[in-house]
Amino acid sequence: MKINGVTIADTFAEAFTMRVARLVITGRTAKWAREAATKLTGFATSVIGCKCEAGIERELTPTETPDGRPGISVLFLTMDKASLPEQLIVRVGQTVLTCPTTACFDGLPDAPDRLAVGKALRVFGDGFQASKVIGGKRYWRLPVMEGEFLVEETFGMLKGVGGGNFLILAADADAALAAAEAAVDAMTSLPGVILPFPGGVVRSGSKVGSKRYKNMVATTNDPFDPTLRAITQTALPEGVNSVLEIVLDGTDAPSIEVAMRAGIRAACRPGVNSITAANFGGKLGPHHFHLRKILA
Amino acid sequence: MSDAVMLSLAARPDHVLLADCIAADRFAGLDANAIAALPVVHGRRPGTLGEFFKVRGGHSGVVRIEGDVSRVDGIGTGMAGGELTIDGSVGRDLGLAMSGGRIDIHGNAGDNAGGAPPGAARGMSGGEIIVRGNVGDEAGARMRRGMLAVTGDGGRGMGIGMIAGTVVVFGKAGLGAGRFLKRGSIVALAPIDRPATFRYACTYHPPHVGLLLRYLRSGVGVPVADRYIGGRYERYSGDLAELGKGEILQWVGE
Repeated sequence: MKINGVTIADTFAEAFTMRVARLVITGRTAKWAREAATKLTGFATSVIGCKCEAGIERELTPTETPDGRPGISVLFLTMDKASLPEQLIVRVGQTVLTCPTTACFDGLPDAPDRLAVGKALRVFGDGFQASKVIGGKRYWRLPVMEGEFLVEETFGMLKGVGGGNFLILAADADAALAAAEAAVDAMTSLPGVILPFPGGVVRSGSKVGSKRYKNMVATTNDPFDPTLRAITQTALPEGVNSVLEIVLDGTDAPSIEVAMRAGIRAACRPGVNSITAANFGGKLGPHHFHLRKILA
Repeated sequence: MSDAVMLSLAARPDHVLLADCIAADRFAGLDANAIAALPVVHGRRPGTLGEFFKVRGGHSGVVRIEGDVSRVDGIGTGMAGGELTIDGSVGRDLGLAMSGGRIDIHGNAGDNAGGAPPGAARGMSGGEIIVRGNVGDEAGARMRRGMLAVTGDGGRGMGIGMIAGTVVVFGKAGLGAGRFLKRGSIVALAPIDRPATFRYACTYHPPHVGLLLRYLRSGVGVPVADRYIGGRYERYSGDLAELGKGEILQWVGE
């Protein structure tokens, strides 16, 4: 299969079931909502080193937010149920609570699994906090030096999908980067999906474990490293001198598929040799995104 | 089972009619005959609801009352769920000690709306009362939880002895509003007589008030002007003769 002369490999991306929460952060202006969201989702690229994966899903207009102010929707994922509230409590407490003018709302109100995030954060109020039930939902009002921070008592948790991916194999680094940027532009703001890595792009894709260091969980993906072509069992076709990866997390598999379709099509541009995907033989992750099936 | 239970006033009571049997959650388990057989007190004489109201439908937690029931007291007493809508004014003790559901009055309500029974420590402990008109004295008295919104004026002692919860009053509130408040909020969109035992804290944009007023506008259909939703409010803490963790929030402008 080829798109714009770019070969689509007959393979699949292998992804995992994760736990996901959606937070809606609002602020007096979009700038302050984004400031909080950027800090909240910082250092959250991969569960390998960050214990969580997070990213901005999209910007919200005032008509889309509970309090009628500009907002940002954020997705937050962890590998297990227990660590999601732990991460949220620490991160919301240090990044959203501290950010001027912001408020924090649940973006998955219909999810039956509830995480007591606001309930835990309330103790920052040192006994001066107060709760309000509005429209059947409980909110906590925390007095702060600026005025008050409003946070919803519980946040919904769903089973999500982490680790959707595709690799852009290009003739040179400039072509790979241009294709990756085009892919990210096409996927940005699609509902239910985040790209947790810097600018949505990964240059250091990894393989499981290590050939040399026993305690390493992940090491460089040497079959796709062009500088190691001559000394390792390479997976790179001739003429490929740079590879970039796009990793996607989302609320569900269909959302990942929609985003992968848009991203891969946008990445098929001059200078790109082929598009492939990372998997582990299909034995580790329950979600398999077959590239050719997605693009058919 | 019907979509809603309709109560139409068939005979206007000569005296005050105590109909504390009318509650949406109670009607959800009863057919029309059983609802009509519920006990009321007319003057000092016992009777049945069916002597005064024509009952249509049954087994529904959505209840609508038609007719002038301004002489009917105790509607919604102890209600724990469902929706009760009244197209007109009601008597005293509306939603007395209710704990859930919503009562929506398209008219005025008498004294002690959302209040407590005589001698009881707690009044309303959950749910919502919307009065699209005025209320009498001591509305929301000893409220423990829940919300009372009044689009008109409040009488004397609004929210007196509140333990928690929220009272919103769009019009004027009479003397003694919030007296003996422990916790809870009285949101006043018009001038309010504050007890001397409330102390000014600051002027700010309380985020929960904007959220609450937006909910009233979009979720309940109460017209609320933008200037109140995004407005500034003076916060007065009180009652300092009590616990002092309550507040009167007075709208002061955009």
